[in-house]
Amino acid sequence: MRRFRLLFAGLAVVLLGLVAGVGTAHAVSEEELREECIHILEEGGTVDDCHEAPSPILPEANEVLWGGIAFLVLLLLLWKFGYPAMAKGLDDRAERIRSDLEAADTAKNEAEATRAEYEDQLRGAREEATRMRDDARAEMDDYKAQRRAEIDAELAEYRERAKAEADAAKGQALADVKAEVAALAIGAAEQVVQKSLDRDTNVALVESYIDSVDARG
Amino acid sequence: MTTLLALDFPPVSHVTEWPDIFFEGSPLAINKVVILMWVSVAIAFVFMWAAGRNFQMVPGRFQGVGESFIDFIRNGIIMQTIGKDGLGYTPFLGTLFVFIMICNAWGIIPALQMPVTARIALPALLSIMVWVIFNVVGVIKNGLFGYLKSVLFPPGVPWPLYILVTPIEFVSVFFVRPLSLAVRLFANMLAGHLLLVSFAVLTTAMFEFFPLAAILPGAVLIAMTLFEVLVIFLQAYIFTILAAVYIGGAIHPEH
Repeated sequence: MRRFRLLFAGLAVVLLGLVAGVGTAHAVSEEELREECIHILEEGGTVDDCHEAPSPILPEANEVLWGGIAFLVLLLLLWKFGYPAMAKGLDDRAERIRSDLEAADTAKNEAEATRAEYEDQLRGAREEATRMRDDARAEMDDYKAQRRAEIDAELAEYRERAKAEADAAKGQALADVKAEVAALAIGAAEQVVQKSLDRDTNVALVESYIDSVDARG
Repeated sequence: MTTLLALDFPPVSHVTEWPDIFFEGSPLAINKVVILMWVSVAIAFVFMWAAGRNFQMVPGRFQGVGESFIDFIRNGIIMQTIGKDGLGYTPFLGTLFVFIMICNAWGIIPALQMPVTARIALPALLSIMVWVIFNVVGVIKNGLFGYLKSVLFPPGVPWPLYILVTPIEFVSVFFVRPLSLAVRLFANMLAGHLLLVSFAVLTTAMFEFFPLAAILPGAVLIAMTLFEVLVIFLQAYIFTILAAVYIGGAIHPEH
C-alpha cells in the first residue's frame, strides 16, 4: 500500500512539474496562432508544421492541467471505491483456489490413506491365506506321517501276528506230525508186538500199516 | 482554431498531429505516437512476463490479474466465438487485446493525453493483420474454392438471390470488415480524445470567466474521463471479439 502511495505522490509531483513547466492554463487565440505560424514559416518551417501540435510531447497546457486533474480525481475515486472491490475479487479468487487445492489435497491424502489401508488389508489377507495354506500343508504332512506310522505299526503288528500264527501253525503241524508219527509208531509197534515175527514180516507189517494209514489219510 | 460561442478550440491537427522527434521528415520518422506505441509494447510484455514469473499454484494479486486476463480471453472471447478449436489463437487475441487497451489508455494519462489508436495507422495495420489471418485460415481450413463458396454463397439462400447476396457478401467480407474494424477503433478513440480536449478547453474558459463556473464542466470532464476508461476497455474488447468472430467464421463457415 505504501508503495502505491509513493507512486501516486510521485505521479502528482511529475504532473505538477509538467504543468508548471508549460505555464498556466490559457485558451490560445486565433491571433496568437497566426503569429506563431508566421514565426514558424519565417524560421524555415512549412505550413504543415503550423498544423502540428506546438510541442512534440506535451499537449496544450490547459489540456494537461484539466485533463490531469480529472484523471487524478478519477484515480482517487477508483482507488477509494473500485480498487478494494477488485482487490477483494482477486483475494477471493486466490482464496478459492487455495481452498480448492487444499480440498483436492485432503481428498488425495484420504484416497491414499484408504488405498494404503486396503493394501494393508489385502497384504494381511494374503499373509493369512499363505499362513493357512502352510498350516494346512503342515497339518496334512503331520497327518500323513502319523497315518504312515500307524499303518506301519499296524503292518508290523499284522506281520508279527501272522508270523506268530504261522509259527503256531507250524508248531501245531509239527506236534500233529509228531503225534501222528508217535501214533503210527505205536500202531506199528502194536502190530509188531501182536505178531512177533521175523524181520521181513515186521517190515511188511509196518509198510502195510503205513499204507493203510495213507489210504485213510 | 475554431471559435464557438466565444470559446477558442484548438484545431484538431494540434491535438492529433505530433511533430517528428527523430529522423524528421523521413518515412522512419518517430514522433510521440510511435514512442507511446513502443512503450505500450514494453508495458504489455513486462506485465505478462512479470505475471507469469514466479508462477504459484495459489496466485498473488499480480498473477491473479494475469490469470484472469487469460481466462477472459479464453472463456470470454474465444470459447464464445470460435469454440475449442480456437484456443490456439489465445496468444494472438490476448496480445491484440492488451496491446490495443494500453495504446488506448494513453488518452487519459496526464501530460501525454494521446491515444495511439486515435491515429488511423495502428488500427488500420491491426485490422489488415486480422484480415490476412482470417482469410488465410479460411483458405487453409476449407481450400480456396470451399472458402470462397462459403463466403460468397451462404447456404439456405434461394439461388436467384445470390445475384444480390454474393456481391454484398464479397464487399462485406473483403472490404467492409477490415475497414469497419479499423475505423470503429480509430473513430471511437479520436472522438473520446476530442471530447476530453473539448471539456478541458471548456473548463479552462469557464475557470477564466469565473472559477466556480468551472465546477460543472470539470465534473463532466471527470465523468468523461471515466467514460473514456470504459471506452478503452470496450474498444479493445470489441476489436478482439470481432477478430475472433472473423477467424471463427473462417474456421467454421457452416455456422
